[in-house]
Amino acid sequence: MKKRSISGTSSLSAGRKLIRGSWLVRTLSRHLSIVLLFLVLFGQTGVALFVMRDLSRSNATVEKMYSGSVQGLLRIGDMQYEAQETRRSTLYALTTADGNQQVAYADQSRNADGRVTQGIAQYLAEVRSDREARAGQQLAKDWSDYLKVRDDVLGLILEGSPKEAVLLDLHLGVSEFDHVRRDLDDVKQSYDEQASQQLATVADLSRRSMVRLTAALAFGMSFGTIAIWAIQRSRVRSAEQLAQLQMDFVAAVSHELRTPVTAILTAGENIRDGLALNRDRLFEQGSVITDQASELMNIVEQVLLFSATRESKLAHSLRELRVNEVIEHALRSTQSLIKEAGFLIDTKIEPDLPPIIADLPVLSQCMQNLIVNAVKYSDAKRWVGISASRDWEKNEILMSVQDLGIGIEPSEVSRIFEPFYRSPQVIGAKIHGTGLGLSIARRSAEVFGGELTVSTEVGVGSVFTVHLPVAKDIGQKEARAESPTTGARA
Amino acid sequence: MRATLRVLGILTASAILFVLVRETNAQAGSPSPQPRVNPTQALAIVVNRSNPIDNLSFGELRKIFLGERNHWPNGHRVAIAMLDYGQPERRTVLRSIYRMDEKGFQDYLLREMFQGDVFVAPKTLASPTIVRKFVFNAPGAIGYMRASDVDASVKVVRIDGLLPEDKDYRLQIDEPSPSKEP
Repeated sequence: MKKRSISGTSSLSAGRKLIRGSWLVRTLSRHLSIVLLFLVLFGQTGVALFVMRDLSRSNATVEKMYSGSVQGLLRIGDMQYEAQETRRSTLYALTTADGNQQVAYADQSRNADGRVTQGIAQYLAEVRSDREARAGQQLAKDWSDYLKVRDDVLGLILEGSPKEAVLLDLHLGVSEFDHVRRDLDDVKQSYDEQASQQLATVADLSRRSMVRLTAALAFGMSFGTIAIWAIQRSRVRSAEQLAQLQMDFVAAVSHELRTPVTAILTAGENIRDGLALNRDRLFEQGSVITDQASELMNIVEQVLLFSATRESKLAHSLRELRVNEVIEHALRSTQSLIKEAGFLIDTKIEPDLPPIIADLPVLSQCMQNLIVNAVKYSDAKRWVGISASRDWEKNEILMSVQDLGIGIEPSEVSRIFEPFYRSPQVIGAKIHGTGLGLSIARRSAEVFGGELTVSTEVGVGSVFTVHLPVAKDIGQKEARAESPTTGARA
Repeated sequence: MRATLRVLGILTASAILFVLVRETNAQAGSPSPQPRVNPTQALAIVVNRSNPIDNLSFGELRKIFLGERNHWPNGHRVAIAMLDYGQPERRTVLRSIYRMDEKGFQDYLLREMFQGDVFVAPKTLASPTIVRKFVFNAPGAIGYMRASDVDASVKVVRIDGLLPEDKDYRLQIDEPSPSKEP
């Protein structure tokens, strides 16, 4: 709610809250579903970021696992094969006495052992832990020991001593090669353990991502459901409120119409039944009929005026108006009401106020509605203050109507400008009305580029203020004052 | 006296005629009836690099190749690598070391193995490269190849204190190489 100081208000001084319709609250209540959807979107985006981070880490771990453990396992597999090839080729040389063939087998054996030696060197260059380093060094040592035996076996074979070669291989070669095989298994096992750990990390990340995704989906579905429910509920409530307002309107209008119609009917019956025997009585009954007919006409005009302002069917005749002119017009139109109710009108108009641009009948109607309301909702003090001043800061003309009436509850302030709305307090006090006066007044002020505000306090009174731009400034707001049907510009 | 002068005159005339004929033939540039001799190339004796032997006398070399010496000082059995049949290096070894022709060499081997004096027949290998690899892989191996085929994988043994590039080195191939290995 906004606070606003109004010049010219004496009884309602500074400190009162100026409530200009709780736009924020109404917007929030109307767009609660959109807020919820934004929350869902925000939450989903946050979860998506987490999931993307997990996936990225998972991918990095998989790549690391592939480049490290998997490639390492492949290398170890190759080394195991080449080690076997080294031994196999050496022993193949036993199967032939052809020196050329034996040399070819020796070549194969040496090529294979070269690849194993190279693989061990690469493994040692890439070790990442002491355990791996120890395993690699043991492998290098055992492989070197085996190669010495292999060289001796190969030499014996080529020298033509196969029996000695076989004995040497059985005696030393087998055990040395077993050491090598065991070392390779150890290295392979370390790669297996690494791969298992990294696989567990990937599985953990995937599980976490799944949990987050599930949570996000549940969160999204829950809030989406709530948002849809809120939308539907908002629509239902709007429809219910509209229906209630229409019913209230029909009831209020019917009630407003019934009183003058009853009076007219009664007066007519009196005349018909010959109860108005003399000229004075006849005049009295005739006056009742004309007064009540006039009241009927007034009610009908209010309804028609509201309909016209709602549908922007009015063609405004804009011209420069002096503030005095507007207030005097409104006072003249409500003079009989004020006089009949016995109210004192206290008018304070600052001298030399600049003109405004508006349609006199429409703006006068706006002020009339405010004056009628002030009379209607005042208590026994029977005082209405009308003032006009200039807000130099905003370069606006302020026309206020103040009463010392019952005031308005803070919870009702946001709704009093709604068409057909009548507060329970007013209904309880049996104050008649259609609930259109303030709605028409605000719409009228807005048509001329202005606004209508209220400052109120329960039990003290209310001040309704029409804000209108001064004439020289009207061009800046001409779009707002433009008549939709006529296209006329101020 | 007159007869003596006549004999001297005939001898002198004959000598002059011989000289003239020889000069005439030399000036005519007629091709030599003998084929041109190919430049000789040294034959290197190679052993495994682990072999402690650096020098052998020609007699020791002959004993080794004939199978009369079966083991090296380090205990390894001597394994002789021979190049395949018909190659100039083999013919040079047969002629210079074995002092036999191919048939005589085969007969000698059969006889010695039958008698049990030679336990392992020399390996017959297809090319100098295979000989080089054989010698590299077998600690007790000894073989031969052209000096140009030698590399660091084998050790060249001095023969009578001489290396193949030295003057008066005994083992020379006097036949052209049939084909140069890559």
